[in-house]
Amino acid sequence: MEAVSLFVTCLVDMFRPEAGRAALRVIERRGGQVNFPVDQTCCGQFSYNAGYQHEAALLARHWIEAFEATRDPIVALSGSCAAMVVHIYPELLKEDIEAQGGDERDAARWQARALAVGQRVRELSQWLLHADGSPSSAQSPPNGDAPSLIYHLGCHMRRVLRATTEAPSILAQSGVPVHEPADDDQCCGFGGTYSMTEPMVSTALADAKWQCIQEKAKEVSAVGLTSADLGCLLHLEGRAVRQGTPFPCLHLAEVLDRRDQGRPIGENLPLRGLS
Amino acid sequence: MKATGTLPQDPRPWRQRRDAALADTTMRTTIGMVTRRLHLARQTVYQGFPTGESDRVQSVQDKRDAIKNMEALLAEFRRSVEDHGGRTYLARSAADAVEIVRTIAETAGVRRVVKTKSMATEEIELNPGLIASGIQVIETDLGEYIIQRAGEKPSHILAPAAHKNRQAVQTLFQSDARNAGMEPPESDDPTVLTRYARERMRQEFLEADMGITGGNFLVADTGSVVLITNEGNADLVTSCPPILVSVVGVEKLLKDWQALQHLIQQPAMNGVGQRLSSYTTIVSGTRPADGVEGPQDWHVVLLDNGRTRLLDTRYEDVLSCIRCGACLNACPVFRQIGGHAYGSVYSGPIGIVETPLLTDLTILPELPSVACTMCHACADACPMDINLPGHIVALRQEKVARHLTAQGVDLTYRWWARQWATPQGYRRSIRLARFGQRFYRKQGLLQSGPGLARGWFKTRTMPPIAEETFGEWWNKTRNGEGHKYAGQ
Repeated sequence: MEAVSLFVTCLVDMFRPEAGRAALRVIERRGGQVNFPVDQTCCGQFSYNAGYQHEAALLARHWIEAFEATRDPIVALSGSCAAMVVHIYPELLKEDIEAQGGDERDAARWQARALAVGQRVRELSQWLLHADGSPSSAQSPPNGDAPSLIYHLGCHMRRVLRATTEAPSILAQSGVPVHEPADDDQCCGFGGTYSMTEPMVSTALADAKWQCIQEKAKEVSAVGLTSADLGCLLHLEGRAVRQGTPFPCLHLAEVLDRRDQGRPIGENLPLRGLS
Repeated sequence: MKATGTLPQDPRPWRQRRDAALADTTMRTTIGMVTRRLHLARQTVYQGFPTGESDRVQSVQDKRDAIKNMEALLAEFRRSVEDHGGRTYLARSAADAVEIVRTIAETAGVRRVVKTKSMATEEIELNPGLIASGIQVIETDLGEYIIQRAGEKPSHILAPAAHKNRQAVQTLFQSDARNAGMEPPESDDPTVLTRYARERMRQEFLEADMGITGGNFLVADTGSVVLITNEGNADLVTSCPPILVSVVGVEKLLKDWQALQHLIQQPAMNGVGQRLSSYTTIVSGTRPADGVEGPQDWHVVLLDNGRTRLLDTRYEDVLSCIRCGACLNACPVFRQIGGHAYGSVYSGPIGIVETPLLTDLTILPELPSVACTMCHACADACPMDINLPGHIVALRQEKVARHLTAQGVDLTYRWWARQWATPQGYRRSIRLARFGQRFYRKQGLLQSGPGLARGWFKTRTMPPIAEETFGEWWNKTRNGEGHKYAGQ
């Protein structure tokens, strides 16, 4: 039994808690003993990307304190938020303390704390790929000619975290064929609060992404879209629903949980927004 | 040496530029095709070139070394050029540079100028400056020739007419042919169009009394201006007219030919996916009395215009830009809005960094905020390892620090972070949002929202905040009860 701390992210916590519960079950079936640090809130990436460095640092310091109680691996339900902690925190905290006229040793100390906690962070598929043992209580029958999914690799997972193959590998191990659309390296347009401050460009990108997804889905008879990043999914799903062309959008953890239970991927896929 | 530069800007506000771009479906299709093709070509050329990556890394080092050593290289370069019959000038500002070139032209009684493509001359608005003095200026790069006929500015650093399709080019050439008394191109076939331009420009090369070039590299130890083209027009611009003026940014300096060796490949490899550009033009001095090569008079105008103020700052690596356009081709936002929407001669990721940096955020300060989703595609594409996403974030921070952001937005971020920096505040804000969202809810979904969120709902829906967050569920079912299996 490996103990892990679960970092659900604010978006999963608030808007898709079922993905958090799915991740919990998926980890536990593989022998993980899950701890949920209840003080966690948000990694601060929204603020950081918008240029609010000090605000991001406030959230980063809180995040570190929330996750420092143990030395266990931290499993993140977002590639982007994982990248924030691992690759942005150390420099962010150092620079913020310097910018606020703080003590140099204090800056170095926070940087060291950020580096230490960052070393423990794994995005869900990264952790699963290296977790010992197969799912004990999972059934995962071969999917055979089961329908496939389109996989969207978020930009920060691709280029900052550099975790490009883990999620497709994990999905393949679970018997889910996944396909990446044409122009898969192009951003979906979410970009945190960019989606709110620059909605027209953001939406043009979402529409371009959907066009590639729909073409691929048609070609391979895919029944849904999955990603390790809920931000991209909410943005794409929200656009499709508004356009009157909803398409099932599932977090990676939700897909794996379904497969663990032996449910075919195409069965009762939730079409959120059509209630 | 540390003055702020000036750059031309489109007077239209961002919203207008953006909406015009998004409504231009022809431009978006054409730009989309061109950028995708160039982006793929770049990836392909590396695959077939085993030492491509190590050569690139070496060239980054050589370029960084040159920038660190800029002052010494500048002195060495000027000495070498003057030793070989040329004259050099250091233009601190755009206006200085235009004034220097205009004085050279007027003193020599120049009437007709032929030009190679040069972003530096776009940056200082040299053409309007010369035309105002009654001098005719003809662009000889095919793309530049096209947009000059259309009265437009370049939409792409490397491919200035990337937004035009061949039908549009044929129309422009037809009216150009009428004015020049030439046979118009009989179809929109690219070969036919190119043949027309070739014939048309030939007259200009022969009649011009001054040539103006930019420069891709300046080699300090031999005092050489190096130009790369795929059309050979720089060969003609530097050899037909008796007078040659080269306007080049000071950041183009390199130590020697050893450093040039790998660097000269980078614009072609990363810009268009070729191992080397088709033509390399080198000017190393004026024509000797008994020689056949080189112009009779040669003037090199070295342009600062805000560049040297970036030395020894976190942004210094921006001076490594070789104008290959790889970041433009990779950028998802550029693919949607094209170059003109940026409103600056420098568009795409490098443009949204360099425009505010050269001008100290005095023009187009919106650029770092409105034209980037923070996807990092530019960082992967840049052959010079310029930290573009890092600089974009830093410029956004700079804007906040200088109060260039809306006060209401600042307050939102401040309140938001202070709430969420404690678990109590986070939970409180969730309760508040749950109460508030009932006013924005329709058919189970949020269809509108207040403040910052309003932008989202212009084009998208959002699920409401869950009845029970993950944290609330955990506290109810798991907290204090150990770690038993969650079941369904």
